[in-house]
Amino acid sequence: MDDYALGVLTNIALFSFIALSAYLLLIAGEMSFGQQALFGVGAYAAGMLTAMFDWPLPLALVAAMLAGAAAQWLIALPTLRLRGLVFAMATLAAAEMLRIGFELLQWQRTVEGEPVGPDGTQGFRGIRWVFESGVEPAMFLALIALLLAATVVLFVWVERSKLGATLRAVGADDELAASLGIDVLRVKLGVAAAAGALAALGGALYAHHNTYIEPRNFDIMLGVHSLAYALIGGLGTAFGPILGVLLDIGLLEGSRVFSGYRMIVFGGLVALLLIVRPRGLLDERVVHALRRRTLKSS
Amino acid sequence: MLDLLQNSLDGLMTGASYALLALGFTLVFGVLRRMNLSYGPAIMVGCYAATWLSLNVAVGLFVLALVTLAGAILAGAYVERLCFAPHRTGSAVAAMVASFALWMQFEEAVTLALPKHLYAFPALYTGPPIAIGSLTLRVEALVTLAVAIAICAGLWALLYRTRFGIAVRALIDNPTAAQLAGIGAGRVFVGVFAIASAIGGATGFLIAATNEQVTPMLGMWATLKGLLAMMLGGLGSLPGAVLGGLALGLVEAHAQWFFGPQLRDLIAYLLLFVLLALQPGWITRWTTTRSAS
Amino acid sequence: MTSGRLLLEVRDVVTAYGKIEALKGVTLAVEQGSITCLLGPNGAGKTTLMYSAAGILKPRSGAIRLAGEEIAGRSPHEIVARGLALVPENRLVFPAMTVLDNLRAGAYQRNDRAGVDADIDRMFARFPRLKERVEQNAGTLSGGEQQMLAVARALMSRPKLLLMDEPSLGLAPLVVEEIFRIAGELNRDGTTILLVEQNAHLALKVAHHFYLIEQGRITFSGNPGSLAEDEVIRRAYLGAEQK
Repeated sequence: MDDYALGVLTNIALFSFIALSAYLLLIAGEMSFGQQALFGVGAYAAGMLTAMFDWPLPLALVAAMLAGAAAQWLIALPTLRLRGLVFAMATLAAAEMLRIGFELLQWQRTVEGEPVGPDGTQGFRGIRWVFESGVEPAMFLALIALLLAATVVLFVWVERSKLGATLRAVGADDELAASLGIDVLRVKLGVAAAAGALAALGGALYAHHNTYIEPRNFDIMLGVHSLAYALIGGLGTAFGPILGVLLDIGLLEGSRVFSGYRMIVFGGLVALLLIVRPRGLLDERVVHALRRRTLKSS
Repeated sequence: MLDLLQNSLDGLMTGASYALLALGFTLVFGVLRRMNLSYGPAIMVGCYAATWLSLNVAVGLFVLALVTLAGAILAGAYVERLCFAPHRTGSAVAAMVASFALWMQFEEAVTLALPKHLYAFPALYTGPPIAIGSLTLRVEALVTLAVAIAICAGLWALLYRTRFGIAVRALIDNPTAAQLAGIGAGRVFVGVFAIASAIGGATGFLIAATNEQVTPMLGMWATLKGLLAMMLGGLGSLPGAVLGGLALGLVEAHAQWFFGPQLRDLIAYLLLFVLLALQPGWITRWTTTRSAS
Repeated sequence: MTSGRLLLEVRDVVTAYGKIEALKGVTLAVEQGSITCLLGPNGAGKTTLMYSAAGILKPRSGAIRLAGEEIAGRSPHEIVARGLALVPENRLVFPAMTVLDNLRAGAYQRNDRAGVDADIDRMFARFPRLKERVEQNAGTLSGGEQQMLAVARALMSRPKLLLMDEPSLGLAPLVVEEIFRIAGELNRDGTTILLVEQNAHLALKVAHHFYLIEQGRITFSGNPGSLAEDEVIRRAYLGAEQK
């Protein structure tokens, strides 16, 4: 497989994490314009731990996930009772604050005679743990794919469980859910922590794939993109957001046909698609019908 | 004390353009109950159209202003037809995501037409600032303020002195009752969109001519400032949009003076976040009775 | 009294909310010049029928004809243009707009400025309490005043057919009597009225003809006196015996 294809597949996998993060919040009824910041938290946290403190990647990933979970939990706490657009704006405000935080973050350590660490708006270069450990790009992709697969399996399992039904109940009508005895606030906090961890994991892997990150990578464009992936892919299943990512990065970037016009084509495609399928491709109805058909045939 | 006054003055001047941006957002949100994420980018399309013209033909500021306006209105019409008309009775989220998709289109189109990071835009005024006592006042800022006042007055007259204005206010106040009164929502929406785009175009021209440059970041910048100002003033309220814009200008001017430009933005976002978390009456009032279905 | 001609014809209308059919095939007619009442218990489908006729809801099947012209499925403003106006349940005024602006909104489709102004004066003559509050925001009016404002607003479009959905809801008895008196006056002056009510007692006093709707179907139609009044009232409040 050539390097370009490898790069495309890796990007698909990486952005699937943040798309799934937005998706998780969406099915619990919350539209977040801020997942890009948690992606960034994971990127900076893992990057600093491996590049500045020589932590092994697996540990750094875990730490990044914890940092992401904590950060999103802290954002969720004061915004629990907000809804709809007001909630979305609050997440955007929090995300921009974090991004400015990344711009202000200047901390470097001397490692093997060289200064390593985030340098404010200049970015953070030298996140080379993967390459210095002799991990080939193909192997790294395999690792990322494995983590993504595990995440998807977890999602599918949760969707079929009572927890999944609880989440969708809260997402559909949280007042009704509360009257049924569901502790809505706790569910929302739990979802926030999980979504934060997920986005942070993606960001941590992203940092190690690119070896260089800067605050601009984590602006509102990334956040709205991830929201769009989830919404066009469809909210019926975890494969929805991944489908959304595939359509953008896979089809358009990968095909190289529309190079230079990718956003124009993708943007037009999305707008037209939404006219025909306003609830996305794999929406709840389609998924339900598919499940029934597979049940009948088995 | 003098610094305080000067900063307040500067803040109000910047706030005037923020108020206009917020007005455009609020018109669409208040009437259509939908968030138009392409608003800033459509303005940018207008500015870039004027920039392209100024690079190829020697034209005066007036023509450039008209081109900016026309560009913004055309881009806005494109957005309205593709993102809002099809979802009028349907999903608000679908309309919003579609408007984001067009944002991406506009950004790429603009960088394809004019690829550099920065382009010069003809200056609105090339003379020195006016001195009033020990305070200085930029002429461009005064012009922007004057235009903002004129637009607000015009909008007020439209809303309170015309039949169209009654229809707009009725749709904001109670969409079902408005329909029952015989107000055709579709046509009013198109009109509101056109007005919001025109206001955006005028604002874009003033911003570009005051800063004497355009960049591909203009779209996102205008969107963020407009959203921020709109939320600060109370989502969905037109007078709130103006006050929110002015307040944002003031907050930024003072924050920048004391803490520098990066913290300036941080403080503005922090202010919004805290306000939203505390949910004071003026925000909740507008979101609970007027939120998108 | 009534002309015998049918101003509104509703035939086999089915209106549904998702999978739930609120109207299961409703047929009724309103004679020009009459006051026709639609009585029935809560949830029977009265408001659904009103909204279907006014264009807020689109029937899944069936026909609705106004003066012979098909209006089912048309948008609300097209239906207002054809001469139907609905005074909705819960009044639905424009709370942040003045009484005067509320009236002007009702006249939105009209182009005759002088005629509109004359009609506004006429409304104030008929509803003097509104004149007292002309510059006040409609949200600050009492329930009864809002009801009158809603009726006045509907009348501003000079409708051939006025639909009134539960005008007595939540109002004091004296106010309700006044509303019904006004309805009678309007009818005598030439407006055909389709009145939806739970308060069968009062409705039957003014109606020329009435229908009973229960669980999405018309179960009775006749003139006041054709069914024992207490039977009608009972069924209007409680519905027929459960099967």
